[in-house]
Amino acid sequence: MTPHDEMLDNVAAYALGVLRSGEAAIVVEHMRACELCDAEYRRLRSAVTAVAYSAEACANAATGATAASPLLKARLMKQIRSAAARPPRPAAPWAWTAAAACLLAAIAAGAIDLSLNARVGEDRARIAQQGVTIADLTASSSRHFAFRNGEIITNGPRLYIAVRSLPAPPAGRVYQAWTLARGARSVAPSVTFKPDNGGAAVVPLPVDARSIAAVAVSVEPDGGSRQPTTKPIALVKIGQ
Amino acid sequence: MERIRARDTDAFEALYDEYHRLVYGVALRMLGDAGSAEDVTQAVFLKIWGSPGLFRSGSFAAWVARVTRNRALDEIRRRRLRPEGELAESMPMEEILEDTVLARVNAEHARDALAQLPVEQREPIELGFFDGITHEEIARRTGVPLGTVKTRIRSGLRRLRVALSGVDA
Repeated sequence: MTPHDEMLDNVAAYALGVLRSGEAAIVVEHMRACELCDAEYRRLRSAVTAVAYSAEACANAATGATAASPLLKARLMKQIRSAAARPPRPAAPWAWTAAAACLLAAIAAGAIDLSLNARVGEDRARIAQQGVTIADLTASSSRHFAFRNGEIITNGPRLYIAVRSLPAPPAGRVYQAWTLARGARSVAPSVTFKPDNGGAAVVPLPVDARSIAAVAVSVEPDGGSRQPTTKPIALVKIGQ
Repeated sequence: MERIRARDTDAFEALYDEYHRLVYGVALRMLGDAGSAEDVTQAVFLKIWGSPGLFRSGSFAAWVARVTRNRALDEIRRRRLRPEGELAESMPMEEILEDTVLARVNAEHARDALAQLPVEQREPIELGFFDGITHEEIARRTGVPLGTVKTRIRSGLRRLRVALSGVDA
């Protein structure tokens, strides 16, 4: 299976709604630049809607009722008619923009640039990297090492820190990753990052995962440190 | 929808009559009890009435099915039926589906097409859609490797589309 075949599988998983938010955001970004995947998504969405329709038929078997109680319709229409005199809320197109921004913000701030304003095709290397990332995060061959707020994920030579529900660092501070090479006695500084408002981030580390014995994360001053200055919030052995 | 935007309650009632079985059916399948399914059904239709502009174009059935699923997922999350609370985001933000397949779909047709799928394809699709779990959880529950789960989902959806449309996917 080629990496793009894997992406097509991810597109199907996305169409069904079974990807995590960070993974879904990467698939969405990929589809903006990949006509093949976008077309596949559009084909599969109708099948997903058919899955929903299958439940309509199942309502009989589940309750013996043909549908919701007629009383529900009566209650609903009473509310609707009483509200009919009031003007509807505006369509709020900003809501879609905000929602899309929130979705994309699930990806690491600064770690994977998923700017909505990026023009399609402007940075094919970036798109390719995102494709690699989603493939790595979801690959059956990937290895996951959990810690309290997330996971260290490796797939072959690539290594990621994926966090969720990670509190924002104090003002003037960032999170910094550290790597301990096999056989080394001290950690090496790696990238700094901040989670998004939801506490999520996916951070690729510029190392060969196969040479790394452990990964740590600590809170450091803006710009990072040469050596950890605080007790790590995570210290994860990933020796293979 | 134009009439609903114009606050036409008769149009809303007609829309309810057309789609409430779909909404209620999805909610019931996901939540498992009629009371909660009715609550979700009511919430979905109130949302339609309150913010008709949220539906822009394309297949209304596809849109309302996704809205329903997400609402039911919210309810599942609220109840903490899923301890990890990591349900998939499923609402594409920009979706316009002009799909001829949907025009032919009805409940019985969809159910028959789904039933014809091999169980190894149908199971992850139903688990993913109705249980609202991630592909990783599907893999754990079924004991199937993650990559295989996704491949089966794709194969199943493609086959489902073929069954519904009668053309190659």
